Amino acid sequence: MPPKTRFDLALDQLLAAPRPEAVARAQTALRRRLQAEQPPAVWYDLVPDTPVGPLWVAVSEAGLAAIHYGADARAWLAALRRRGFGAARRSAEKTARWRADVAAYLLGRKRSLPARVDWRGVTNFQRRVLEAAAHIPRGHVQTYQGLARELGRPQAARAVGQALRRNPVPIVLPCHRVVAADGDLRGYLGQHGVQTKAWLLHLEGARL
Amino acid sequence: MNKPDFTTLVDAHSAELFAYLFRLTRDEAEAQDCLQEAYLRAHRAYGRLDDRANTRAWLYRIATNTAFSHLRRRRREAAWSAPADERWPADDPSPPERAARRAQLAALAAAVERLPARQQAALVLRQYQGLSYAETAAALACSEAAARANVYQALKKLREVFRDAAQDEI
Repeated sequence: MPPKTRFDLALDQLLAAPRPEAVARAQTALRRRLQAEQPPAVWYDLVPDTPVGPLWVAVSEAGLAAIHYGADARAWLAALRRRGFGAARRSAEKTARWRADVAAYLLGRKRSLPARVDWRGVTNFQRRVLEAAAHIPRGHVQTYQGLARELGRPQAARAVGQALRRNPVPIVLPCHRVVAADGDLRGYLGQHGVQTKAWLLHLEGARL
Repeated sequence: MNKPDFTTLVDAHSAELFAYLFRLTRDEAEAQDCLQEAYLRAHRAYGRLDDRANTRAWLYRIATNTAFSHLRRRRREAAWSAPADERWPADDPSPPERAARRAQLAALAAAVERLPARQQAALVLRQYQGLSYAETAAALACSEAAARANVYQALKKLREVFRDAAQDEI
């Protein structure tokens, strides 16, 4: 190989490799970033027997991730993946607290539920709607229009309804406390939607 | 055949890819950002990557694209605030020649900076990252002949600038 010219040496200086410390810093930062990007795991399990039928509960490290009415969890687990959750594992232990709380609430042994919710995959508007619904006191109802007005979007009653329909954690975030202006219950989640809604409102002592 | 866990790609290639990005950006923080962005892109696409694919070449390709977007953005924003001669002080011993050498090096640095991104990348990949022309071409998504031409053009231009800068000083 010919000896290096002054040009070669100058170019080598300009395009020198980073120092080992800089490489180590970059690798540490990279590993941390990739770790943070990992989709969070969820644990789920069944509450087999409640007055409103079987219920599935899913939790993450951040809180309650989802509640699902019905016996079949497959479509619901797929929806959790679409919301950006990672691996879902069945775990009686990880879900024990929430399953007990929800069951107790439905049996009338508990008057309120903690609202520590994992909002992953929930849009900002949806979240605002659900948080507003969470302020409706037990035993009371609000209308779709009323909630839309509260959010400063009086024209958005229909969008409010859509957001409530996609409530990831029914019962805990009480979308059942929102009804139509004429007092009609309108819609609710699960196979026996409106029946369940009526039952929950009755449990809470709402007068319709 | 199952693909190895994605984390093995971090262990195996992040050091050389960081060196590559550092050589393209000449800035530790920017190289770090590019490295993270490249690996995040790779992570999202990893599931769709063919099992038999050469993961190193694939990562170089992603890193190259990431760096190109970054350099385009930077050139637009003209973010090179520090003058080149302050970024690369020459450590030449003799005082009278010192200023001249510094100026020459600064001119070369500015010329590296002004090279078309593809030429700069081709030069770095072939001469400093130890990639073959075939691998360089793969990273740049071009033919081997085009990769050779890019390296050649880059060196030709830089040599000219270096020579002219020396004459200016005399």
